[in-house]
Amino acid sequence: MSKSKQTLLIVGNGMAAGRLLDELIKRDISGFEITVIGDERQGSYNRIMLSPVLAGETDVPAIIGKPSAWYRDRGIRFVSGVQVKAIEREQKCVLTTEGNRLRYDHLVLATGSRPAKIPAKNQQLENIYSFRTLRDVDRLLNVARFHDKHGRKTDTDALVIGGGLLGLEAAYGLALKGLRVTLVHRSGWLLNRQLDKAAGTYLQRVLESKNIHFMLSDEVERFTGSHELKAAEFKSGRSVSCKLCVIATGITPNKELGLTAGLQGDRGVSVDAYMATSDTSISAIGECVEFKGATFGLVEPIWHQCTTLAERLCNNIKRPFENSPVPTKLKVSGVNLFSAGEFITTDEHRELLYCDDQAGIYRKILLRDNRIVGAVLFGDARDGQDYFSMLQEKRDVSDIAQYLLMGRAFYAASSDEPAAA
Amino acid sequence: MTSSAQLITSDRPQEVGTTIQTTCCYCGVGCGVDAQVQDNQVVSVSGTQAHPANLGRLCVKGSSLHETQRSPDRLLTPMLQGEPTSWDTALDYAAQKFQAIIAEHGPDSVAFYLSGQLLTEDYYIANKLMKGFVGTANIDTNSRLCMASAVVAHKRAFGGDTVPGCYEDLEQTDVLILVGSNTAYAHPVVYQRIARAKELRPEMKIVVIDPRRTATCEIADIHLPIKPGSDAFFFNGLLQYLAQHGHTDVDYIAAHCNGFDEALAVAAEQVPTPEAAAEVCEVPSGDIEHVYRLFAAHEKVVTVFSQGVNQSSSGVDKGNALINCHLATGKIGKPGATPFSITGQPNAMGGREVGGLANQLAAHMGYDNPASIERVAQFWQAPNMARDEGLKAVDMFDAIHEGKIKAVWVMATNPAVTMPDAGKVREALQKCDLVIVSDCIGNTDTAKLADVVLPASTWSEKHGTVTNSERCISLQKGFLSPPGEALHDWQIIMRFAEKLGFGEQFNYRHQVEIFREHAALSALDNNAEVALRGFNISALADISEQDYENLSPIQWPVTPESPEGTPRLFADGQFYTADGRARLVPITARLPVKTPLPNQVIMNTGRIRDQWHTMSRTGTASKLLGHVDEPYIDVHPDDVARFGLLEGDLAMLKNRGSVYYGRVKPSASQRVGEVFVPMHWNGKYAASSCADALVNPYVDPICGQPEFKHSPVMIKPFRQAWNGFLICSQDIRPECEYWAKITLDTGYKFRLAGGESLPCWRTWAHAQFPEISDWVTVEDSDHQFFRTAGFVGGVLQVMFSAATDKKSAPEMRWLEQQLGQATDASGRFAILAGIPDAGVEDEGAMVCSCFQVGEKTIRKAISDGCDSVEALGNKIKCGTNCGSCIPELKAMLR
Repeated sequence: MSKSKQTLLIVGNGMAAGRLLDELIKRDISGFEITVIGDERQGSYNRIMLSPVLAGETDVPAIIGKPSAWYRDRGIRFVSGVQVKAIEREQKCVLTTEGNRLRYDHLVLATGSRPAKIPAKNQQLENIYSFRTLRDVDRLLNVARFHDKHGRKTDTDALVIGGGLLGLEAAYGLALKGLRVTLVHRSGWLLNRQLDKAAGTYLQRVLESKNIHFMLSDEVERFTGSHELKAAEFKSGRSVSCKLCVIATGITPNKELGLTAGLQGDRGVSVDAYMATSDTSISAIGECVEFKGATFGLVEPIWHQCTTLAERLCNNIKRPFENSPVPTKLKVSGVNLFSAGEFITTDEHRELLYCDDQAGIYRKILLRDNRIVGAVLFGDARDGQDYFSMLQEKRDVSDIAQYLLMGRAFYAASSDEPAAA
Repeated sequence: MTSSAQLITSDRPQEVGTTIQTTCCYCGVGCGVDAQVQDNQVVSVSGTQAHPANLGRLCVKGSSLHETQRSPDRLLTPMLQGEPTSWDTALDYAAQKFQAIIAEHGPDSVAFYLSGQLLTEDYYIANKLMKGFVGTANIDTNSRLCMASAVVAHKRAFGGDTVPGCYEDLEQTDVLILVGSNTAYAHPVVYQRIARAKELRPEMKIVVIDPRRTATCEIADIHLPIKPGSDAFFFNGLLQYLAQHGHTDVDYIAAHCNGFDEALAVAAEQVPTPEAAAEVCEVPSGDIEHVYRLFAAHEKVVTVFSQGVNQSSSGVDKGNALINCHLATGKIGKPGATPFSITGQPNAMGGREVGGLANQLAAHMGYDNPASIERVAQFWQAPNMARDEGLKAVDMFDAIHEGKIKAVWVMATNPAVTMPDAGKVREALQKCDLVIVSDCIGNTDTAKLADVVLPASTWSEKHGTVTNSERCISLQKGFLSPPGEALHDWQIIMRFAEKLGFGEQFNYRHQVEIFREHAALSALDNNAEVALRGFNISALADISEQDYENLSPIQWPVTPESPEGTPRLFADGQFYTADGRARLVPITARLPVKTPLPNQVIMNTGRIRDQWHTMSRTGTASKLLGHVDEPYIDVHPDDVARFGLLEGDLAMLKNRGSVYYGRVKPSASQRVGEVFVPMHWNGKYAASSCADALVNPYVDPICGQPEFKHSPVMIKPFRQAWNGFLICSQDIRPECEYWAKITLDTGYKFRLAGGESLPCWRTWAHAQFPEISDWVTVEDSDHQFFRTAGFVGGVLQVMFSAATDKKSAPEMRWLEQQLGQATDASGRFAILAGIPDAGVEDEGAMVCSCFQVGEKTIRKAISDGCDSVEALGNKIKCGTNCGSCIPELKAMLR
């Protein structure tokens, strides 16, 4: 061996860390001694697939991308079930809750995020869960397994809080297990961060047909029960008795480890375009990161972060990360939706609208200066990716505008033969 | 009595696939048609090889006869004030009111308005009822609009309304001059015969005299685009030229003609030289002289004339100016030499034979001779013989408007569309105390104004004779039973006569009985001692029913001397005047009544190739709308620029408070300052594209024929805010400033345009079809385009597309074929796009939703060698974003 290897320490073993490892291996890790510390016991798994696991559409082994052997085979040290308490930047080491210190030459923070808190009272009651980890899913599946479908005494079996992607997926999974589900959402329509009201209403209609009941424009004020959850009381004054509750109102970046160590940041740990924090020996990726004021919750930009970081660490090539818009999809069987870019129509937009009530198909494209700046699809999301490409390319679509909503099969044909008549 | 008559046609035996030889119901050519009949339906048609008119040929209208049988608008029961009723109730009402009006206001307060679509037998008894029994000659016909000028010109020249020649003359001639006659469109089979003759004998010269360069000019050696209405100047010039250059037949004139000197004197003074003709006609004098020389140099010359001559305020004079030239050269009554009036309607000639016009009496007898009136009165045993001429069409509807005529019965025609100043005709009918309409279609523009509407039989059901332009009588056969309660016109008239108390005199059991009576009247006192009349079919007066049923086409006169008929008349130089000599009429040529103002153009009207009259029949076959499917305006390119028009855009013509909307067709075939519009469109097929409504009611002072070919009108572009089209399974009347309906095989298509304000297209479209709830809609907040499709039970019923620019609502044949078809959700995208799926391969079930990669694509990649998730990702990207589909990819790889 010539030169001594660099010690690369990765804190966190979620999807970002897993992807970073892939990207490093794809290049060259011969110059590194790599250690991964994760507080979950499993190797890196596909957190997006928790919903299908809950829904029973797939199982746990299928979503674990990297079992322990995977690390071993590649000479990577994997420290599982361990949490890092602090970073000692002068000494270039981290301190675990067990009191161990691990040294690093370069540190990568991939600490991810945790479920966001809601202001409701009495959240300490039993049977109130989040929907974030395999452990959460295990517990929910356990409840569902022993759920007595007959001796029903409550208004609903499961209360799900949050009409975002995660909340809807949780509600869908529970409903599929035979639970009566009520979903409460603060906004007037579902997925209000991704969809306009019309599409949100279409979505609601489909989910209602899948046995999910909705309470919109309402919030839980407090939970009641002496030990176990019995009911939830709402700001509107309504009260709903229930057996369990899943809170899925969003995520909060796990920024504390970095910020306590004096790294710059606000909503997350600040990074530059090359994923370096304010300490050149420390990089950060994933949901714990803040870049130009934005935080991240979808995989696609995080994948790009991993590529950028791997390029820099392995090849010393600086390929800047760009935060481009990311389309939204929902992992619910039978629900096809797509949203990218702007989704609320204003006076500045030219709005193209396709409505097929009977078939439950809704499509909206927002144009500005004849360029797509947003697309919302419901019921048939097939062309979303195409619209998204045009959005990114800033393509002038004035010549195909009248065929755009009907999809690629038609606007491709129309631009081939402009004289369609 | 009527029921037994009905049996004869409806119970005619019908084997599977029977061929029936009958006659076409359209133009005056009168082609023989072989109809293949099965299950009370015509399944196909072809031209009768042996028929002298067409020798096996058929035009596109005739070839589509079987496609126009099933009109959804077919009238099946009598209607009284818009409600279905029984024959007895309807006729009682009509007859009582008719009688009451006569009792109070006299017989001249009632009128019949007939049609060249009626069979001779129908015509005969309608004429007999009015002139002999009701006691008025207020019986006129739409032939007034097409043939009246020729009728009078014939009578003035020949002493009788007689076409001297036959179709063969058109083939055998050396010089064929077509004046105001677009035979290519109006008489296609005759045109084909001429074209074939020209092919066989290229030396045959064809001259077309027409302000327009019509389709007929395709086979012409010379086209003279004369100033509209200047025809008589041309022929006066010709007469003078012939005389000046010694080309008149001095012997013939001496032996057989009167009035030559007087006629020549007037002509010579008015048009002394070809240059003088050229100045008025606005064509080079060299061209005029060329045609004059052709006429002079050839023995065999035929001059065919039609509506371009007739529909004029001086139509009679034009006809005589033309006939004068033939008489002065003896080019008449010989093979290949004759003036030839070609008629528009299938039985205009039959109507003329029975005298079914207000200024005729019956069987070529007129009101000018009291002895004739007496003769006919006796023959009919008529109690109330009309002693004076009645009111001709335009005067008749004026009299209705003025309240002088209080009851009118319109048979088989649509004057609310076809009369000049048609808006006023509508008003007149609205005012009239009693309007009776008998027709096969229940919702013509005229029927909508009627108190009583009576269901009549139509072609393939009605049974009787018709006469074509060459005097050839053919049997139009009834071989299908009339639907519902429809009756034949003669039966309806007979029942009505019975209600009026004339049951005894109107007691026919079969058409042949009427025909025999008609034939007997034609023979009555028809001899040189009393007065010779041209129309004589005495040899058919005793025809047996069997011979009638098997009548071979035969040209009148049909007398004991010429039992096989008479192809040519006047070969012997004998005419039907008192002294047997033909008469040259001195003609002072006149131009049309009104000259256009500087901001006006002259509107000319006419037929298009594939439509017939007001489209009641031809409008129901999609095939016949393939050639021209929308009202249009032919405009010279200079005028297109002058009036700020645009090709393919809509323009408006205005006159007499009426508007005609049509698409602008720039056409160098038009003279500058003149436009041409088709006469067919009406309220059933367009919002406001009725050409005749703009025609001034100026008529020929002698014959009363209106000047349809020359109406100064305003022209301007229609500034539309939007345009679009609508296709739908059911017939509607769109609430829209401009619409034109096009019949499809699957339903209807409407072209639409709106002026000024933009409606909410969605609200508008959905309001037209309140019964449909399943709509798919594409909307654009910029209003550049809009589309919506309506479904019932998954089946496409409506598609509406609108746009503010022209290109955003393209029509597609494909879309029309989808009407009435069931469609799935993705098929609806295609409907809204208006184009079939461009063949983008069906991806199969979506596996990778991030990159939209479907199962079929993945399986293909696997069979092409991808053996791992990574390989698939590298090749087709699936699984490389969120990774959710990796389990599925793995499963597919196993």
